[in-house]
Amino acid sequence: MKFYHFSEMPYPYVPPEAEEAHGGLKYFMPNRFYDPVRGHDLYQRYLDEYELADGLGFNLMVNEHHQSAATLHVSATLSAASVISRTRHGRVLILGTPLPHRANPVRVAEEIAYLDNISGGRIDCGFVRGVQGETYPSNQNPARNMEMFFEAHDLIKEAWLQRDIFSWEGEHYQYRYVSIWPRPYQQPMPPIWVSGTTARLVDWTARHGYTLCNLLGTYDDVANTFRLYRRSAMSEGFPEPGPESFAYLSLCHVADTEAKAMEIGKKLMFYLKAGRMRLNAAVPPGYSSPEAAVAALRGTLGAIRKHSFEQLVEEGIALVGTPDQVTAKITELYERTGVGNLILMNQAGEMTSNEVRDSVLLFSREVMPRVAHLGHDWKEDDTTWRTDTDTAPVQPVLASAVS
Amino acid sequence: MPVATRHPKLVFFHDVDVVERSAESLGGLARTMSVEVPGYPGFEGHAQDADGRWEDWDSAGDLALHFRDEVLAAPEPVHVMGAGFGGWVALELALLAPRSLRSLVLVAPYGVKLFGRMEPDFQDLLLLDAREQVEMGWADPRRCRGIRMPGFPESPDDAQHSHAFAERATLARYGWKPFMHSRRLTRWFHTIDTPTLVVSGSRDRMLREGHSALLASRMPNAVHVEIPDAGHYPYLEQPERFQEAVLEFYARLEETPR
Repeated sequence: MKFYHFSEMPYPYVPPEAEEAHGGLKYFMPNRFYDPVRGHDLYQRYLDEYELADGLGFNLMVNEHHQSAATLHVSATLSAASVISRTRHGRVLILGTPLPHRANPVRVAEEIAYLDNISGGRIDCGFVRGVQGETYPSNQNPARNMEMFFEAHDLIKEAWLQRDIFSWEGEHYQYRYVSIWPRPYQQPMPPIWVSGTTARLVDWTARHGYTLCNLLGTYDDVANTFRLYRRSAMSEGFPEPGPESFAYLSLCHVADTEAKAMEIGKKLMFYLKAGRMRLNAAVPPGYSSPEAAVAALRGTLGAIRKHSFEQLVEEGIALVGTPDQVTAKITELYERTGVGNLILMNQAGEMTSNEVRDSVLLFSREVMPRVAHLGHDWKEDDTTWRTDTDTAPVQPVLASAVS
Repeated sequence: MPVATRHPKLVFFHDVDVVERSAESLGGLARTMSVEVPGYPGFEGHAQDADGRWEDWDSAGDLALHFRDEVLAAPEPVHVMGAGFGGWVALELALLAPRSLRSLVLVAPYGVKLFGRMEPDFQDLLLLDAREQVEMGWADPRRCRGIRMPGFPESPDDAQHSHAFAERATLARYGWKPFMHSRRLTRWFHTIDTPTLVVSGSRDRMLREGHSALLASRMPNAVHVEIPDAGHYPYLEQPERFQEAVLEFYARLEETPR
């Protein structure tokens, strides 16, 4: 199993009354509440933590969000460039570039290729649809989101694979002359990761052989999503997908005692604050199926935001506890889902840098060595998720934590 | 064989956040005119229209092209009316086939951007909660009726909510960017010389104040009438005053040589 350190780089200094007045920290929060001096310090601190994690054996993940105090990553590729310049060993997972929210896919292809060259091939390249609420800052049509995602992907892939100038006259993107410099360091292209739970997207990811990431799902939902992936991949003619094809993002904090881990780990709940988002921001028109939109109205979409911290720990969505407890949960996660990549949100909200450092140090010393072997010999493991024994039907899965 | 009628034909393009999509929503007008209310592809009951090609359409201009033949097929020019989003469809149709229209009644239409680039012309009906839209769309929100938006009216029926979400998705296809208007229509609407009545409610806050009056002033053959104590849906909120204004317009039209 591989481990990725991740922080959303939050800005935790917005006054509560401003947060209340604007219905949360995201998308519609005026930037007068941002202090550039404090922001500079935060960026340095978060990058220091990435540097430490790299030295401890973690891989590294960055993402991007927009117009949000919850995240100061404004461009996943810019963040990756910053992290690459501070680190030497870990792979840098960009999860991801929200393709439909970017106006220029060729620019994305160039930037990823640049990062891959600069880092000597350390890039894992994630593509995402972009979170629902960011449809408003990006102003890209939510009813076209999925089709734009697919077309942008197709164009980027051609930009990486073609060796001569080509033209692209698509539905959403048009270029008459494309031949990017540089081309990727990893040939023919970096590994591609996709996050999502929508059946169509999971099926598409499987049929392309890309790594599928589930964000903060219940283990049952994760197992169900991966089940769909395995069946789609094999019907496409791929061999049975192993753990390297799957990733899971969880909240994480370890400490010497359970009480201390719970006390500090509770700060991770910052990430799940829902705010009072308008219905249309939670499910922009056409972004999801009408059925998923009704689920949002009924409160079942993004349901884990309503779980208590204790419940999240119990479910293993928050890997919080002593090294023994977290080791046991990660083992359970692997046994129930067959996941091979674990992304750990080791920082959120007002969690201090020392608290983050203590946790990642302890994790690297006392958890990582005990779970790193998981999935290495997956064909020999006694698990429930192998395709020859798993005959459960695929159930529809709703996004666990919509933003 | 349809029964021959001497009533003049009126094609009414309905707004998209109302469920009242029949001739009855125009009250007394339906007694003196033969009212047709076309259904929009992608809206309830019309998901399969145009063989599903509407999924690629991106403007009310596509709807106007879709309805153009229907209007042109009439033996003589027809009266066209459009409310809100339907007003945008009606404007696009007038631009396409001006000689096929006898008159144009526009009720607080979307479709044309008249104000500056940092001055939104229209409230964001694709973001606002139903509660906010009712507050802004009605002079007296207690009179609100016939409205349908995602989550509104509250209903135990998931199927009805599902229809509302599906229709918002279709509206997003037509009006997301540029928001609820067309740059091309904005460049050309001043050439529409069809006799036109622009009607708006005095308390319409879905459009920037003065939008309807300014629109009328920039069309060569248009007048503007404001209905007092009405919001964005004057034909629903003040039906008698609305019908009176429209009938007066039609009466003057009859006095004018074609």
